[in-house]
Amino acid sequence: MFITLKTKIWLTVLSIVLMFTFFTLYYFPAQQRKLLIKNYSDEVQNLANTVALGVRIAITEQNFQGVQTAMEFVKDDPRLKFVSMLENDTTWNNDHTNYKVNSTVFKTFPENQHPKATIESSDSLIVKRAPFITSVMSGSVMLAFSTKEIAESQKKIRITSLVVSAIVLLIGILIGYLLARTILVPVRALRNAANKVGKGDLTQRIQKPGKDEIGELGRAFNKMTDDLLLTRQELDESNISLSEANNSLNTTLNELKAAQAQLIQSEKLASLGELTAGIAHEIQNPLNFVNNFAEVNAELIEELRAECQKPEAERDGQTIDEILNDIKANAEKINYHGKRADAIVKGMLQHSRTSSGQKEPTDINALADEYLRLSYHGLRAKDKSFNAAIKTDLDESIGKINIISQDIGRVLLNLFNNAFYAVNEKQKEQHKEVTPFEKVSPLYEPTVSLTTRKLENRVSITVSDNGKGIPQTILDKIFQPFFTTKPTGEGTGLGLSLSYDIIKAHGGEIKVESKQGEGTTLMIQIPL
Amino acid sequence: MKMKRIKRYQRFIFTKFFFVTIVLFSAFPGSSQTSSLTVISNQKGAPATLNFSELKSIFMGEQQRWRSGTKITIALMKTNTAAGKNTSETLYGMSGDELNKFWLALVFQGKASAPNFFNSASELENFVAQNPGAIGIVDQVAANDEIKTVQVEGKKL
Repeated sequence: MFITLKTKIWLTVLSIVLMFTFFTLYYFPAQQRKLLIKNYSDEVQNLANTVALGVRIAITEQNFQGVQTAMEFVKDDPRLKFVSMLENDTTWNNDHTNYKVNSTVFKTFPENQHPKATIESSDSLIVKRAPFITSVMSGSVMLAFSTKEIAESQKKIRITSLVVSAIVLLIGILIGYLLARTILVPVRALRNAANKVGKGDLTQRIQKPGKDEIGELGRAFNKMTDDLLLTRQELDESNISLSEANNSLNTTLNELKAAQAQLIQSEKLASLGELTAGIAHEIQNPLNFVNNFAEVNAELIEELRAECQKPEAERDGQTIDEILNDIKANAEKINYHGKRADAIVKGMLQHSRTSSGQKEPTDINALADEYLRLSYHGLRAKDKSFNAAIKTDLDESIGKINIISQDIGRVLLNLFNNAFYAVNEKQKEQHKEVTPFEKVSPLYEPTVSLTTRKLENRVSITVSDNGKGIPQTILDKIFQPFFTTKPTGEGTGLGLSLSYDIIKAHGGEIKVESKQGEGTTLMIQIPL
Repeated sequence: MKMKRIKRYQRFIFTKFFFVTIVLFSAFPGSSQTSSLTVISNQKGAPATLNFSELKSIFMGEQQRWRSGTKITIALMKTNTAAGKNTSETLYGMSGDELNKFWLALVFQGKASAPNFFNSASELENFVAQNPGAIGIVDQVAANDEIKTVQVEGKKL
């Protein structure tokens, strides 16, 4: 439940006033009444004792002045109801072994009162007895005073209490009002100012804060808003500079993106460059065929022409047919090899073209095999001395799988290039170590293996080499962009990074295992 | 000069001390006491003569003021003296204890002023002499020039 500060102040003040009122109206009057009754009882008892003493002196010494004075004192008291002198009569039993004391009223003042000797105090009456014993008579003085005066005193006290309570209530209301005014007004001003500050208006200030704690709070609030304003100004300035920095960063980022795109393109071109030699080698073959068969055809045509220029009788029809058949066969071979070259060129174009992003059923074995050969021949084209054994272990049960063939082709080419590079590097090192008389170390045979396997729900392609291996210290960095161990100009450092992204995009994974000096194995797993 | 002094003294006596002496002979019936008792009074208040019923009324506390308006003050010998005992029995017809109880009742109820009891006649006489309206009973009046004993009626009560 939400209780406002104002309500709390009023509740506190009213609680105090009510407690005070309870004490003044109920507790104190009750205590006062007790005290009054006690004092009154003592007074009555003292008077009774005085009268009793007077009686005793009167009888024993025949001096009645004392009792007269005491009685005059008692009689003049307006509170007196009656005063009686009781006489005790002792009655013995017949055997004189036991006795009984009977009190009888001897005399009473005023005479019109006839109290019983056994009367006791009541709400309206206080009765006190004072015994006396003389030789003539023994008994007691019984003094009864009205409590009317106590009731009147109490009434007066109650009226006084009521008046005091009313005054206290008024003072309470006044204090409550003043408290509410001195506490609530500044607190509300603080609250309103804080709300406005919360909404962003930092010009809010507490006007003329007092000298109490709330005033201190107000000053602290003013200081806080000053500081906030200052901080905000600083923040604004920082924001402006940050914004400028951000713009500059954005520009840089855009430039970087452009550079990255260029780099990717460079990477593609680089791989294309590496491919070119292989491709050239691949094209060379069919071209040789085309050339050779074209030359053969030209010779055959010459032979055919010579045969045709012969007189009709000398012409050998069978020879002409054979020549024509050979020409046709050669033309078909030219066509075949021409198409083969065409296919190679188209493949090259496909490699360099931007990925369409469309997955299509692809024979992964054929793709891998083709790129393996392209890579090998590419390297051989650059370095005639390079030679490596290629081992393939292809799982024919894989069939066609849905992949973006250009992208996966690029990955495979990258892995093969790296593998051949590694074995080539190792071979070069081996060359340096062997004696000048031995050109090739008999111990080392560069080998690159390609293994494909169909697993439960994925396909694995493993490329292994027995090259230099990758040091353990940089093994976790090889997939980072721009990380390369190749000499400047030979690698962009983007190959494995792009490969990693492409395999991830296919939902697969790429793992590396390497032992320095023994070789490296890269395994790609692509889900079916 | 001497005559003037004597006259002044006499006047003093008459104004200040007026003694009414009543000789009581076995005052009340049944009393065996026969000794004489004298009623003395301050000059102021008490009349020159009193009959017995008036006397009794005065000493019983019934009459509390003289005709002149002066308050009557009673002076008696204590009942443990012969004169007191005699007075109690003769005038009141009571024993000493009964007299005490009688006066206690009167004083207690405010019906009469407290009487004054004395151990000796001289004290009583002095008291009577000094208090206007005082009246007392003694068995004998001391031989003193300042006291004048007046025999009232001489009647046997």
